[in-house]
Amino acid sequence: MSKRRFIFSPDINVLAKITRKPLFLVLPLILYMSAFYIYPLLRMFILSLFSPDLTAKHYQSFFQTPTNFYSLRVTFEISLLVTSLCLLIGYPLSYYLSTCPSRKASLLFILVLIPLWTSVLVRTYAWIVILGRNGVINQILQKSGIIEQPLKLIYNRLGLTIGMVHVMMPFMVLSLYSVMVGIDRNLLKAAQNLGASPFRAFRKIFFPLSMPGILAGCILVFIISTGFFVTPALLGGPKDLMIAMIIDQAVEVLLNWEFASAASFILLFLIITIFLISGKVVGFDKLWGKKI
Amino acid sequence: MRGRGLMGLGFIGLLLVLVFGIDGNIRAYAAKQVVVCNWGGNSAAFEKECFYDPFEKETGIRVIMTSPPDVAKIKAQVDSGNIEWDVILTDIPAILTLTEGEKPYLEELDYSKIDPVLLAQVIPEVKQKYSLGARIYSFNIAYNTKTFKPGAHPKTWADVWDVKKFPGVRSFNNPYGGITPQYEVFLMADGVPPDKLYPIDVERAWKSIDKLKPYINKWYKSHAEAVQMLVNGETDIACTIGPRVIAEKWKGAAVDVEYNQGKLAADNWCIIKGSKNKEEAYKLINYIMDAKRQACLASKVPYGPSNREAVKYLDPKIADDLNTSPKNLAKQTWQNVRWWVEKGPDGKTNRARSIERFNQWLLK
Repeated sequence: MSKRRFIFSPDINVLAKITRKPLFLVLPLILYMSAFYIYPLLRMFILSLFSPDLTAKHYQSFFQTPTNFYSLRVTFEISLLVTSLCLLIGYPLSYYLSTCPSRKASLLFILVLIPLWTSVLVRTYAWIVILGRNGVINQILQKSGIIEQPLKLIYNRLGLTIGMVHVMMPFMVLSLYSVMVGIDRNLLKAAQNLGASPFRAFRKIFFPLSMPGILAGCILVFIISTGFFVTPALLGGPKDLMIAMIIDQAVEVLLNWEFASAASFILLFLIITIFLISGKVVGFDKLWGKKI
Repeated sequence: MRGRGLMGLGFIGLLLVLVFGIDGNIRAYAAKQVVVCNWGGNSAAFEKECFYDPFEKETGIRVIMTSPPDVAKIKAQVDSGNIEWDVILTDIPAILTLTEGEKPYLEELDYSKIDPVLLAQVIPEVKQKYSLGARIYSFNIAYNTKTFKPGAHPKTWADVWDVKKFPGVRSFNNPYGGITPQYEVFLMADGVPPDKLYPIDVERAWKSIDKLKPYINKWYKSHAEAVQMLVNGETDIACTIGPRVIAEKWKGAAVDVEYNQGKLAADNWCIIKGSKNKEEAYKLINYIMDAKRQACLASKVPYGPSNREAVKYLDPKIADDLNTSPKNLAKQTWQNVRWWVEKGPDGKTNRARSIERFNQWLLK
């Protein structure tokens, strides 16, 4: 049997040392992100500042139009509302999921994940079918005589909120669940042994330990919501103007890419600011999930 | 060890076959082809049947279809020099967007390359600098036949504004999808005769739509939304593309179109600036402007053909439903594209200004 020889024969120890460093393993990801994320982002930033000379006019024109301010306000209002609702509804759901025996949990989990795997457009359209003037809800209510005129459930903030909460819920549930499932239930038992009521045990032990999940879920849902525009465009009314719709109009309809870049960076800056502030307030280590 | 060696050789061999095989194919493709970008969907399948497959058979030039004619993609292609498309089927708003800047993103059409016989048959209004009309669509009064029985439907735009005589919700377009505010429709509802629409009295148009605003339940972004709302019964009257509603009617939906006071516009063939297959592009355009082939498409997708001779080859019942049948054509007016492209003292076209104003008006 012939010994296998490498075609090149470097010092094997050097090669092994390099490939064992953590940085080496992350290198492909760094290269990928640099090429397809950081570089395009830089180019967009340059586009927004130079047309062709250094100018802040695109940023200025953003702040000169009241429509843009309005849409920023509406975007953050809606994102905040959707995040809060997702948390309120998602927390009990995740708690229940985390206490289920694993077979039942798997089945319930699929129910949470299937909407995530369904196209956003299909889900949004399903809400039109359910909430619309001639939709399921209005037909049932009208036929049973409870109401005479159909309720206006879509093409307004209500329908928009329902649709977006439905779309964002899996993100919140997954974030919360992944943290909750790692909380040691024995801690709760110990607290009750020492005389705490179930509610006190929850408030003092379980809830603080689930904070990283809450933060991660809220930040995730909030950030995705600010950039969302499919569901608002289809389910919202004319006053539900998200900033993404304005940016989309600038890119597709007005071909004003300089303005679109400026608007995008303003949004990015605002989101980073919010992220940093909330991290400072709650404590960054809770966010990264360090064990308390 | 030997097995490994053989496997290695086999792998290299496969690699070579793939590389040269594909390369050979690419060269064959690159030889004679033309890339057409259209609206996709059912319509594209019918175009393939009526236009592109026969074209390939007769000329040997391969036709590659793609969709949709995304304006941003066209700009990206031309700016980067990496041009993939040749012939584009798109509407006037897109063409205006692409040609109203300092550098146009479409080729100026060389009409000497188009068969003069065909040109004489084409409706004159659709022969423009950067585009040649392929099929005619129109903004019409589209309504739900469950709400309005035949004959009892709104027959003019003034009727649409009359919420007492014709109760129900209305739907108009919003500015985010690129469709301009329908100034012509607003003015016609206010009593301006169709032949006196231009130059457009913008203030009068906005005052007119102010009256209808409370009764509009949805400002749709795309015509697909509007048509779907009519079919679902979510809206009773919509100002949208009549032919698309007729297509649903042919499928059995409870909708219909009133052609009176409609506004005509064209879907057009254009050539992207710097197209790599210009000669093949002109050959294709000549081929598909033929009357018989246009009739083939019109019988499947109810848009009016731009070639006036096409109506000779159509079943009279189908021809009647089309917006370019003589009786329907007489009821409608052509949109004056030139007014929309005119630049004002602020350097913006009427179109760009109208969209910005629409953005603000919608929020009031």
